[in-house]
Amino acid sequence: MDALIMKISLNRAYAVRDHWSLLASGTFNQGVHLVSGDVGSGKSTLALMMAELFPLSSGRIEKAEITSCMLSLQFPELHLTGRSVAEECTSWGISADDIVVATGLTGRKDASPFSLSRGELKRLHLACIFAKDYDLLLLDEPFSSLDCQEKTKLCTTIEQKSRGITVIFTHEQNILPRVSRIWEILDGKLIDCGRPPDAFLHWCHVPPSVKRLTALGLRPDNISMEDLQEAACRIQG
Amino acid sequence: MITIEFLRHRNLAIDALTIKPGITSIIGANGSGKTTFLKICAGIELPDRGTIRIDNLAPRETEIGWVNEFPDRNILFANVIDEIASPLRFHRITSCNKIDTDIRACAESINISHLLNRAVRELSGGEKVLVSLAAALVHRPTVLLLDEYDSHLDALLAAQINQVIRASGARYVIRCTQQMDTAMQSNQLLFFDSGRVTHAGTPEHVFSFLKGTAYYPFLWMR
Repeated sequence: MDALIMKISLNRAYAVRDHWSLLASGTFNQGVHLVSGDVGSGKSTLALMMAELFPLSSGRIEKAEITSCMLSLQFPELHLTGRSVAEECTSWGISADDIVVATGLTGRKDASPFSLSRGELKRLHLACIFAKDYDLLLLDEPFSSLDCQEKTKLCTTIEQKSRGITVIFTHEQNILPRVSRIWEILDGKLIDCGRPPDAFLHWCHVPPSVKRLTALGLRPDNISMEDLQEAACRIQG
Repeated sequence: MITIEFLRHRNLAIDALTIKPGITSIIGANGSGKTTFLKICAGIELPDRGTIRIDNLAPRETEIGWVNEFPDRNILFANVIDEIASPLRFHRITSCNKIDTDIRACAESINISHLLNRAVRELSGGEKVLVSLAAALVHRPTVLLLDEYDSHLDALLAAQINQVIRASGARYVIRCTQQMDTAMQSNQLLFFDSGRVTHAGTPEHVFSFLKGTAYYPFLWMR
């Protein structure tokens, strides 16, 4: 029963920085949520607000039945505490042996995390994040620096998460997981676009592939590559 | 022309490669050697073996603009205006008027004039990339090297920046990207696999080898 009421509610949560402000209202229930927005629109700030790491000027954020929260920052280097790949894994309480195999870093356990390419570092960081199960998982630009294959794998990992609330803050437009709700930040306000595919009608940051398919007369059911391909096949058929 | 012969460096092994003037995109898996290749083109690293010549000059004899894949590693100064001015000051341009004019023209071309008086610590990740790009362009480089600069940009901004890059006057633009829509819009495309250039040519030619992979642009799938 508890699982049914897990949620995070933003009630006119208002944050101010020197040059802009962000007003956010809405309820994030269990499932995968996508928050899109332009560069500098406040996606990262909203993630920090939801993680209670950015003070609100007014309003409130309420969490129900959420006992564990993890924020994955946009820049994986900001998470680093270990001097080696193995130490980094250990600092997350995870076996390095499993992680290096999963991330293709076999043989580099003793390497400095800073010797990894940015994509490899992101892979390592995400593997450490997904090795544990969090009620609220906030992913700030999880796809940045990943190659296309790794983006696809990450989508699968996110889709396979069977419980909890996952919020993806991203400007990625091509390789995305199936999501349960779409949000966007416009002019300093968080907008609830609704559930796909209806959300596509008023989603300003709708991916070009979705836009193109819609223009051809067939809306995909969701935004994952499988959904897009399925819609494209319908057109081809 | 940029000519590379018998290059060996870390995991890179390129026997012969020619890069023509224009925009060259590099795609491939994480760790395939893309960043290492850019560093050699920039003269940041010297190859263990082999040669690279840019219009018959060594990279270190060439004016280079560089945007690092780690946005925070690009930036030396606390304020945006000082960061963009730094390449001009490092070149001992002493006219404050010229520096100011060049900074403002460059910032306007990238549409970041509103950031000029900001502190770097206040910037979002994407804004840091734009400031780094301005600093890379302000001294009008011959070679502009961009390492996954677009992984922190939204689609609209990335499209605008692509126009800025085209209009920059840089004779060579070499960019790593994981956005295949961006890669499609190049004069030349290189596909790296385990330190080797396995496919090179026009985007149409290279992508013809990548059908059925995650790299093939969705917009070309039908």
